[in-house]
Amino acid sequence: MAFEIGIMTFGEITKDPVTGVLPSPRQRVRETIEQARVADEVGLDVFGVGEHHRSDFVGSAPTILLAAAAEHTENIRLTSSVTVLGSEDPVRVWEQFATIDLLSAGRAEIIAGRGSYTESFPLFGYDLKDYADLFRENLDLLLKIRDRNPLTWQGRFRAPLADADIAPRADGDTIPVWVGVGGSPASAVSTGRLGLPMALALLLGPIASHLQTVELYREAAEQAGHDVGALPVSINAHGFVGRTSQHARDVMYPYFARGMMDNNHQRGEGFLLPRSAFDAQSSPQAGLLVGSPQEMIDKLLAYHELYGLNRALIQMGFGGMPQQEHLAAIERLGTEVAPVVRREVAAREKSAA
Amino acid sequence: MSAPTAVGLERAEHPAERPAERPAEHPADGGAALRVVVVNGSPNERSKTMGLVGVILDTLGGMLPIETSQIDVYRLGPGFTEAAERDEVSPDVEATIRLAEQADLLISATPVFRGSYPGMFKHFFDLVDQYALANKPVLLAATGGTDRHALVLEHALRPLFGFFQALTVPVAFFASAGDFDGTTLLNPRVYGRVEMGLNDVMDLLRTRATGTHAPNA
Repeated sequence: MAFEIGIMTFGEITKDPVTGVLPSPRQRVRETIEQARVADEVGLDVFGVGEHHRSDFVGSAPTILLAAAAEHTENIRLTSSVTVLGSEDPVRVWEQFATIDLLSAGRAEIIAGRGSYTESFPLFGYDLKDYADLFRENLDLLLKIRDRNPLTWQGRFRAPLADADIAPRADGDTIPVWVGVGGSPASAVSTGRLGLPMALALLLGPIASHLQTVELYREAAEQAGHDVGALPVSINAHGFVGRTSQHARDVMYPYFARGMMDNNHQRGEGFLLPRSAFDAQSSPQAGLLVGSPQEMIDKLLAYHELYGLNRALIQMGFGGMPQQEHLAAIERLGTEVAPVVRREVAAREKSAA
Repeated sequence: MSAPTAVGLERAEHPAERPAERPAEHPADGGAALRVVVVNGSPNERSKTMGLVGVILDTLGGMLPIETSQIDVYRLGPGFTEAAERDEVSPDVEATIRLAEQADLLISATPVFRGSYPGMFKHFFDLVDQYALANKPVLLAATGGTDRHALVLEHALRPLFGFFQALTVPVAFFASAGDFDGTTLLNPRVYGRVEMGLNDVMDLLRTRATGTHAPNA
C-alpha cells in the first residue's frame, strides 16, 4: 500500500497572538482553498477539512469548501476530517460527497466520525443521549447507500427509505469511507468489525500511546473475517514542518498554544500549554509532528514502524497560523518530507514482502 | 447477548425488582441453579453498568445454571428513600432487600459518581442487615468515565463488603466509557477478565447454588 501524506484544517478563525489581528471569515475561506491548491501543487496526497459549528471556525459546511477546492486542484484527494455523521442525514452526506466526486473526477472521500465537538446535535435537533446510536445507524445507512441504488432501508432516527433513488452515484466505482477514531477501545473494535479504514485522531502524548487501539482494531477486523492487510490505518495529527528544528518549534508554539487555549479546557477554562510541555511533545518519543524536514521524516517513519501506518494527515495551521508560514510548511511537507517517506516506506514494504 | 435490562417491567412484582430473565440452558449440568441478585447503582434505564453486568451474567450463565434478579436502587421509590432505618422501609422494599440478603451470589454493580459509588447505592446497603452478607459470595463491578476510576472497586466497594464480612470475588470488573458503544461492551480485554475472574470461583459457586433448576420454566 503506497504511503499517503496530506494536510487537514479546521478553518479556525483565531486572533493572531503575535499581531492581535482577527482574520475575517472571507479571508479564511479563501486561505483554506489556497492551502488545498498549494498542497496539490507540491504533490501531497490528501486535503481534509474538519466540521465545526461555531463562529471561531469557517468549517460548518466542509463539503462546500471541498467543492471549491475541487475546482482549484488536479490530483489531491478531498476528504472530510471529519464528517460529524451522528448529526447528519446520511442521504444528504452521500449526495454532497458524490457531487464533489463528480466535480473532482473521483477524488472525494468521507471520514465519518462521532466528532469531538457536540454543537451540531442541538443545532440540527438531535439528542446527545442518542450519540452512539445515531452514529451507528447513520454509518450503516451511509454504507448501504454507497453499496446499492435504489435502496430500501429502515431505522430508528429517520424516515424509512422505500426503493429510494439516491443520486448522483460515485464518479468511479465507489467513494472511500473511513471512520475517525479518537482512541477508545470500543471505536477501534466497531470500526474493525465493519472492515472500514481507521483514521486515528492523535493529540498529545507518547508516540506509542495508541498501540492497543490499533491492535484491537486489527484483531476485531480479523475476527470478523476482513483482510487486515488491505485495511489502511491513518493518523490525523498536529504538526509543523519548519526550515530547522528550532524554527519549526518557535513558529508553531505560540499558535498551537493559542489553539489549545481556545479548544482544550479544564475546569471549563482554557489553559496555557507551557513551552516546556510543547518541547517535550516535540521529542522523538512523543507524538507531535513538529520539526525540520529530516525530523519529520524520522518521526513519520517511526509512526509507520510502530503502527504499520499507511497515511498521515497533518494539521499544521491550528491556532491561526499565518497563511504565509502555513503555505511554506505545506510546501516543505510536499517537496522535502513526503517523497522521502514514500520512498522509504516502499523500500521497507518491498524488503518485508 | 441479552442484558437483564431487557426484562419487561410489567413482569416484576415491584418496578425496581426484576425477576429472573434466565435460567440459562445447561443440558450437561443437572445441578441446582445459582440464585444471582444484581444490585444496580445506575439511575439510567439503559446503562453501561448493566451492559457490563450483562456480559458477566452471560459468561456466568455459560458456566453453570443461574436464576437472575435485578434490583435498581434508583427505582425503589419513597418507601426506600424516606427510610432512615430498616424498620421504616415499605413492605415491597423490605422484600427487595431480603432478596439481596438471601442471594447465592450478589453482584454489586455501580457507576462511579463524584469519585465513588452513588449515595443511593450506599443507602441500599445501609439498610441491609449487618450480618446478612457474612460469608456470602459478592462480585464487584463498576463503570466510570475513564480508567482513572478503576480503583473504586478496591478502595470503595471492597471495604464496604469487608464491613459485611462478605466473601468478595478476588477479581473485580471495571469498564470505562471508551469500552462501550452506547451500552454495549466492546473491549475484548474486559470480556477476558470476566472469564478469568469467574473461573477463579467456579468451584465455590457450584457449592453455593440453592435454586431450583428448571431450564424450560
